Amino acid sequence: MPIRVAWGIQHPMSGHLTLYLDVDGDIVLNTEADVGYTHRGLEKIAEYRNFIQYVPVIERACDFDASNFALGYVRAVEALMGIEVPERAKYLRVIAAELSRIMSHLYAQALLSMTGGFETMTVWSANDRELILDLLERLSGARVTHTYIIPGGVRADIPKGFKEKAYDVLNYLERRIWDYYKMLFQNKTFQDRTMGVGVLSKQDAIELGITGPNLRASGVDFDVRRDDPYEAYDKLDFEVVVEKEGDSYARALVRFYEIAQSIKIIKQALKDLPEGPIRCKTPPMLPRGETYTRIESGRGELGVYIVGSGTNKPYRLKISAPSFRNLAGLVYLCRDIPMGDIPVIYYSLDILLLDVDR
Amino acid sequence: MNLPISLPTLPNIPGLPPIPLPVLPPPFDVLIEFMQTSEFMEFAVELSLKLLVFPGLAFIMLYAMLAVWGERKLHARIHLRIGPYHVGPIFGLFQLVADGIKLLGKEIVTPERSHKFFYHLAPVLIMSLSMITLAFIPFFPVGPGEYWTIYYSEYSLLIILALFSLRPFIMIMAGWASNNKYTMMGAMRAAFQLLAYEVPLMLSMASVVILAGSFDLAKIVESQANMWFIVPCFLGFIVFFISTMAEICRRPLDIIVAEQEIVFGPWTEYTGMEYGLIMMSEYVDVAIASFLTSILFLGGWHGPGLHPLVWLLIKMGILSMFFMIGRSTWPRLRIDQLLDAGWRKLIPLALVQVFIAIVLVYVLKVIVV
Repeated sequence: MPIRVAWGIQHPMSGHLTLYLDVDGDIVLNTEADVGYTHRGLEKIAEYRNFIQYVPVIERACDFDASNFALGYVRAVEALMGIEVPERAKYLRVIAAELSRIMSHLYAQALLSMTGGFETMTVWSANDRELILDLLERLSGARVTHTYIIPGGVRADIPKGFKEKAYDVLNYLERRIWDYYKMLFQNKTFQDRTMGVGVLSKQDAIELGITGPNLRASGVDFDVRRDDPYEAYDKLDFEVVVEKEGDSYARALVRFYEIAQSIKIIKQALKDLPEGPIRCKTPPMLPRGETYTRIESGRGELGVYIVGSGTNKPYRLKISAPSFRNLAGLVYLCRDIPMGDIPVIYYSLDILLLDVDR
Repeated sequence: MNLPISLPTLPNIPGLPPIPLPVLPPPFDVLIEFMQTSEFMEFAVELSLKLLVFPGLAFIMLYAMLAVWGERKLHARIHLRIGPYHVGPIFGLFQLVADGIKLLGKEIVTPERSHKFFYHLAPVLIMSLSMITLAFIPFFPVGPGEYWTIYYSEYSLLIILALFSLRPFIMIMAGWASNNKYTMMGAMRAAFQLLAYEVPLMLSMASVVILAGSFDLAKIVESQANMWFIVPCFLGFIVFFISTMAEICRRPLDIIVAEQEIVFGPWTEYTGMEYGLIMMSEYVDVAIASFLTSILFLGGWHGPGLHPLVWLLIKMGILSMFFMIGRSTWPRLRIDQLLDAGWRKLIPLALVQVFIAIVLVYVLKVIVV
């Protein structure tokens, strides 16, 4: 006789999400997700704001990957207006977005190690995330929500001494991530806890609409940065990390290797940074029409659909948030598994409730 | 029967037969006679010394304070943090005192639909169970054939084993009495975990008992005067260490109270000082496990130069550190993985160890019992 457990809201590891679990002994038979506890109506807010005022707001849709979300929105606005930003701004946007991605992946790794009670890796990852936050603070003046990427370009040029500092941090991080590899990925207990847990086959991943590192961990070779390049990604050399297993370990490993790739991208971008203006003029009104753009955020593909009405406010804005799409995978995977695997699957999918309840 | 104070006599009521004085039943009259001898005073002083100073209250308090502080500092070092820093004279040493005062000030919440009696009984019971276990451990010799222990028994190892096995039942009681789904899951996990570690624990103890030829912890230590049992029983030591870790719920094997999965296992609902008692009993268990490991495998109080007690405490302190360090070096196992490891790996290893012990004692006759 299964009992129904509300795994959520007041649970140490759940976040703002309630999972209703049908538990028989220690086996979870079925799961239902109840989202919307912290719904803020971010899409509706866009209809009451000047399009430029909305940039800080959409960063709140995903605090831990703020620059990528701002980039997604800003690209939609620019596509609607049909403007092309200067080359230098494109490279600076790539730098901010990739720093944001490293930040997001480090946080995901911290939370995944937390699920096994492995606080050491949590604190190590969070500590090194702090270095990235410092870099972003130098770049934009804010640690978490930077509002660095704005329609027309970026808000400010890189400050004095930023390149040297960035090279220091990135070189350190390049060495440091192999400590993570030894401490976490070669840890037998961590392998036992994650290998073969929450296996998402290639077919299932495609049918459920899983995106981002989770999709690549299931063997699907797709990355918006390479397959539908935006900003300066077509001029930069990087690899798309793909793993075949599709289990929690593979998902963590994809994120781990993506940190290395992001470091590579930022180094190239800093080296090739062209001279020139960092901003171009934007029209004050959004033209009539609609557009959909997509980018690869830290958690997966972020799509922004925007309808312009000829005023300075968008008529409608729709965010296709990556964590919300990955939530389908969570509900699909949390069936007939032991209770102890719920947090592992949850955080290996890197679901952040901020952008589920946007 | 001559009492130090005279009992008041009952008045005769006219019309009724006189009421006779109550006579104490047999064990108590002997007790009162004993209390009047001078032996009693010596006995009472020694017993209260044992109960209040070592290995009783003062030692446990001091140990818990140092252990909590040491554990937090150790984890902080591994985490590349500083750890407790502000409370107390040096390096946040009085952190536990501050925590204790905070816990005393908190309300003790009783869940509405819990079984009140068993709910409030469980934390008291688990703490007293841990403390009682300390009473059977001999700590150092005070004379030929006499040891500093609260209750000397020839079967002390068996008694400790029996008391250890009672812990999961208290957890099941607490989990059931709390009337919460997470506590019930924690209770069931306690039952499962008992199945995983109990058999290898007994088997690894059996090899030591075969080598020493006795269930008496003091005799086991005395027979290690020339060689510590970790040398012939290395496999047994490893099995014992791991199963004890499961027994006292330290991090890689703290499946019962897995915070990220089932909040705090059977103890989810407890607040205030009841929670404090539970945490305290965990650290007392670490002390007992470390004492037991050093007595069974590391030669107990044997060592050159220093006082026997100092040697025992040094060994126990180092072992406590090893019991605690797992929290920052491994993630937690899943319950089925622990059961698998217990039955497929630990039990065969322990059986090999028992076989080695039997060969050493009865076939090769290397070790004379």
